Amino acid sequence: MSFEEISHTADVKIHARAPTLEELFAETLKALMQVMYGTTSQGEIKREIRIESGDIESLLIDFLSEVLFISEVESLVFSEASLRINGLSLIAELKGEPFDPARHSGGSEVKGISYSGLAITHDANGYMLDIIFDV
Amino acid sequence: MLEGINRIGVNEWEVPVGYTPGMRVPGRFFLSESLCRTLEPGAVQQLANVATLPGILKNALAMPDIHWGYGFPIGGVAAFSVDEGVISPGGVGFDINCGVRLISTPLLHKDVAGRRDLIDELFSSVPTGVGAKSAQKVSLQSLDGMMVKGAQWAVNAGYGLERDLVRCEEGGFMKDADVRAISGKAKQRGIPQGGTLGSGNHFLEVQVVQEIFDPNTAKAFGLTLGQICCMIHCGSRGLGHQVCTDHLKTLEGATKKYRITIPDRQLACAPITSPEGIAYFGAMAASANFAWANRQIITHATRQVLAKMFRIDYEEMPLIYDVAHNVAKMEEHAIGGMRVKVCIHRKGATRAFGPGSRDLPSDLTSIGQPVIIPGSMGTSSYVLLGTQHAMDITFGSTCHGAGRIMSRTQAKKKLSGREITQNLLRKGIIVRAHRENAIADEAPEVYKPSDEVVNVVHDLGISKIVARLSPLGVIKG
Repeated sequence: MSFEEISHTADVKIHARAPTLEELFAETLKALMQVMYGTTSQGEIKREIRIESGDIESLLIDFLSEVLFISEVESLVFSEASLRINGLSLIAELKGEPFDPARHSGGSEVKGISYSGLAITHDANGYMLDIIFDV
Repeated sequence: MLEGINRIGVNEWEVPVGYTPGMRVPGRFFLSESLCRTLEPGAVQQLANVATLPGILKNALAMPDIHWGYGFPIGGVAAFSVDEGVISPGGVGFDINCGVRLISTPLLHKDVAGRRDLIDELFSSVPTGVGAKSAQKVSLQSLDGMMVKGAQWAVNAGYGLERDLVRCEEGGFMKDADVRAISGKAKQRGIPQGGTLGSGNHFLEVQVVQEIFDPNTAKAFGLTLGQICCMIHCGSRGLGHQVCTDHLKTLEGATKKYRITIPDRQLACAPITSPEGIAYFGAMAASANFAWANRQIITHATRQVLAKMFRIDYEEMPLIYDVAHNVAKMEEHAIGGMRVKVCIHRKGATRAFGPGSRDLPSDLTSIGQPVIIPGSMGTSSYVLLGTQHAMDITFGSTCHGAGRIMSRTQAKKKLSGREITQNLLRKGIIVRAHRENAIADEAPEVYKPSDEVVNVVHDLGISKIVARLSPLGVIKG
């Protein structure tokens, strides 16, 4: 499992790969938190997210948009997610900690998750995607 | 130049119909020979994609700060027929009414030069950066007021002067705002963020009027040589971001419902007159108004700091003008000799209305609209004048800034925040930010030279240079 930031002029483009779809979603969540807060957090505060969407790309975007919302309004920084994906619905359990300006000010606010160029694909080694976060 | 692009003028280029399947009109962009080196194929493809949308009129346009975004390219402008056209959040962006305003002061360069305490005080008075919360306690009722009346709400609430409003595009609020189209989630995000600057490329900068190119217009705008001004660049914060997210989802469904073929899902759209299109427009207008209220509150905080620190009168700091960069609006334009109502999208572009336009304040009707173009950190910003030529060829639009040429990833690898801060300090520019990355991300080197971009719009005649301002201090998110 891994993610890396790849060059994009205006925004942040992430390439992520993982053996399973669930892990790919979890990895993309970590990338989102890394971009926003510049650090991986720890913590035991839990939040559950349930999403249903029309296709797999929308499922990912709706999931990450919901994380953005919860993170902002509850001032939480998430470190990991365990997910169950069943067709086009998911249940995610997130773990995180309260936002601490001293440790979590190293990133840049993500304004939204873009559909542009988003495609989730898979090969013999697992799943991968490129995704653009608007910063 | 990229293959398939035609040169049609000194700084004008055409993307012909057929460049990408389904184009209804040509694309047209404006770049000097030297800026062509910075053009990305992805940005041209995005411009061609815009040209495929139903009801697009004349040309899909891009200003000289064109770069690769999502949906529309940044610097993109397109007008759509109200009867046959569509509205798309991809032509506005997540940060609805991200915009910029300029306030003048009676202070001179010598009054503020080297005054780190001024930058420190502004930094502590205006909440900035990730996770920053508003100093104001905004009630749900006040939030509705901000979304309906924008800067007018803020002025009524004591955050400014009545005369500020005539110096805002749209008088500081769009009348089509519909708060019923705003989700509870968007409101939840908006409440703690009124009067916050945000992060990324948002900033508050103390500047000096360094050079005046058009003395008569500068005088009419209220600018004099050597004068200190403050520039504020921010948008609709989490509220606008959530509105874009929410309505993209609705419009995805609408795209299928109305059988519209789009080449990029971020261009999800609906007919302007459809219930989905009307709802998005109402929500977008409400978010735009929130952004105007936001910039007005930050203006108030800035004036208070300056008034206290330099013992000057709050009323001696008039607003020069406030422009939106990311917005869709209903405007009337001349097409084929007729006045036609269109839905114009500007994404990373600035309205630049020429003389005689109805929306201008009465004292500027015969002159034209002030256009505020922020430079990157450490480089010049400009005040320009809207022109008739812009009305003729760009639906009254011009560039919005310098335009990025280096990604954030490259910037972080190549540049250290500390080094940049020291280099800027040597030039007399004081920078305050919560983190070093914020400085590296937005270093002068990551943008096209603002002078070159502004020269292109000036030479084209879609706006004319009035004054150049140099930075003295900047606070960033």
